[in-house]
Amino acid sequence: MNNFKTKMTPFLFIGPAVAILLLFAFLPIIVALVISFTDTNLVGLANYSEINFIGIRNYINLLSDGNFLQSIGNTFFYVIIGVPLSVGSSFLIAVLLHLVGSWLASTFRVIYYVPSVTNIVAIAVVWGFLYNQEYGLFNYLLSLVDIGRIPWLEDPFVAKLSLILLAVWKSNGVSMLIFLAALQSIPRSYYEAADIDGANRWQKLRYITIPSMSFATFFVTITTLIGWMQFFEEPFVMTDGGPLNGTNSIALFIYQEGFQYSEFGYGAAASFILFAFIIIATLIQFKFRNKDQSL
Amino acid sequence: MTLKRKMVGLFLFGVIMIALAACSSDDENTDENTIQVWTMSDGLGDFVTEYEEETGMNVEVQAIPWDNAHDKLVTAVASGKGPDVLQIGTTWIAEFAEAGTFLDLTDYVDDYENLGAEHFFDSAVASTKFEGQTIGIPWYVDTRALFYRTDVLAEVGYPEGPSTWDEMIEASEKLAARGEGQYAIDLPDDDPQFPFILAWQQGWDYEMDKQAANFEKSSLRDAVALHHLFYDKGYSQLGEGKEFFQAFSDGSKPMFFSGPWDIRTIQERAPEIEGDWSIRVMPSAENNHSMMGGAHLTVFHNSQKKEQALDFINWMADPDTQIKWYEFFSELPANEEAWEDPVLADNEMVMTFGEQLEATQPLPLIPQYERIGGELLDTLEKINRGGEDIDEALEEFISQADSILNR
Repeated sequence: MNNFKTKMTPFLFIGPAVAILLLFAFLPIIVALVISFTDTNLVGLANYSEINFIGIRNYINLLSDGNFLQSIGNTFFYVIIGVPLSVGSSFLIAVLLHLVGSWLASTFRVIYYVPSVTNIVAIAVVWGFLYNQEYGLFNYLLSLVDIGRIPWLEDPFVAKLSLILLAVWKSNGVSMLIFLAALQSIPRSYYEAADIDGANRWQKLRYITIPSMSFATFFVTITTLIGWMQFFEEPFVMTDGGPLNGTNSIALFIYQEGFQYSEFGYGAAASFILFAFIIIATLIQFKFRNKDQSL
Repeated sequence: MTLKRKMVGLFLFGVIMIALAACSSDDENTDENTIQVWTMSDGLGDFVTEYEEETGMNVEVQAIPWDNAHDKLVTAVASGKGPDVLQIGTTWIAEFAEAGTFLDLTDYVDDYENLGAEHFFDSAVASTKFEGQTIGIPWYVDTRALFYRTDVLAEVGYPEGPSTWDEMIEASEKLAARGEGQYAIDLPDDDPQFPFILAWQQGWDYEMDKQAANFEKSSLRDAVALHHLFYDKGYSQLGEGKEFFQAFSDGSKPMFFSGPWDIRTIQERAPEIEGDWSIRVMPSAENNHSMMGGAHLTVFHNSQKKEQALDFINWMADPDTQIKWYEFFSELPANEEAWEDPVLADNEMVMTFGEQLEATQPLPLIPQYERIGGELLDTLEKINRGGEDIDEALEEFISQADSILNR
């Protein structure tokens, strides 16, 4: 009896966490998977007997849906430009903040973190003004150096870059904090030893700082990557996917199908494709990391 | 862990669970004299106190912003838990009616003084009919008309505003020729109703049995071509540009189509042009039809208080109530008798909308309406901004409409 008790105790402790995870994470995923094989819409939602099982027709339709393919293309564009940019810039900010004095560092830490805690709708209003083609601040500044008006949000290609700029600015804060924490946990003795060996600043960065932060970098890269694959808020509040569907992302496409047009089955299928992309990207990164450690 | 501590822990856990349960449980109102009303009109809550005093009923009003209303209604449909009285915008009727959201009122309307079809605008009543059912009672109506700057239009020879599309094009050419940054008219690029209004004016109509073939009619192509002309020739600005009311005030965009709410907006945002602007009915091509928009009051399908709900709707549809509602919120009465009241009859601008309301058409009552309207807007964007050929873009639109209608 006592033995049984000892064996069961760990399960008792992890039980609630596992139960919540099953209920709120795995169950919805499974339900979504089932829905993605049906033609559930508003009518089906009101009356379950109207729901039909249609196999993989949603997936086939998606692959021939121009808007969806375009939003996949846009999402990859966001990821390829956005992830290196936001990881790189937050790393740079963290290293620079680590170099300067503590008074300056804590002030700027707050400044860089503020965008992360600011409401996206407020950000959208302010950046909407900044990007305004007629009297936005950016075009005004450019006009001072005789550069013509840039259609920040009016051209499909430029609008993508504008949204990336906004998202990098907004997301820097969190990654920066993680990098700063990692920087502070590097033992000072490494640097002291390097000083004795006569290493310069660049060598210390290259051979001590960067390798010591590999786990933080890995973590930030994965979370940033997942965040960018689910890119949603910025196009939702700034452009609603336009112009010409040029800023639509997969996540926004899912929202439009599922919630604006009530095509729940179709939206669920699209969300599974996004899910697959994220899993694949994460697995590839884990693979790289394993290789890294074996060296 | 001592027993006492365990007890405390258990107790706390229990309290939290009860609190959670209390949050999630909907307070089912069994009280006979209380009805729940969901509306998108903030302010109805205060407005109904008069009804409460008259009848001793208790009306619980929940105001939902338009942006969240669709999600909220979807949730209500999915869970089967809705209010007793529900406001619905005319564009969502078919979609939610198909899902069986509303009680069929056909057998009830004759029992109440103000609910009969004869009291309301014909197109408003037409938009409450879905597959032979009467799913709601018109509450307020709205339509689109032409706002214009009298002084600016007088300079190009149209002090009364253009009355046909030919005149509109002629005036626009002169207005756009005034120089860089000068336009003729601001066309709504995110209003899915607008392309349909243009199409009706070209004689187009949506016939239920023809489905996607409706969009093959040449009248729709005429409307799209007309729309494109304004961007192609630079009569209208692509993209947002200046803050709109500023542009209207400085005369760089002296015309726009909008609804009655913008009367007040102009008065507030551009008081300096008082007396220099007016409203007229739509310019005509084949006709000068505009849309019949607005909102209806409906009864949720499983409401336990049909009688009370209908009594409340009957009060809302009363001409006196309708006039009061107009005075408070500038929303136009659906009840035609209310329009004879001097509050409306003596207001020239509002009467222009009254005149336009006589020439309106209900929007196509199909569940996929929003979807198709959105696709049509995308198609227009492809033509105007993306430079696609009109016929190719329309062909693509027709095949999309076909797959949407037959999904």
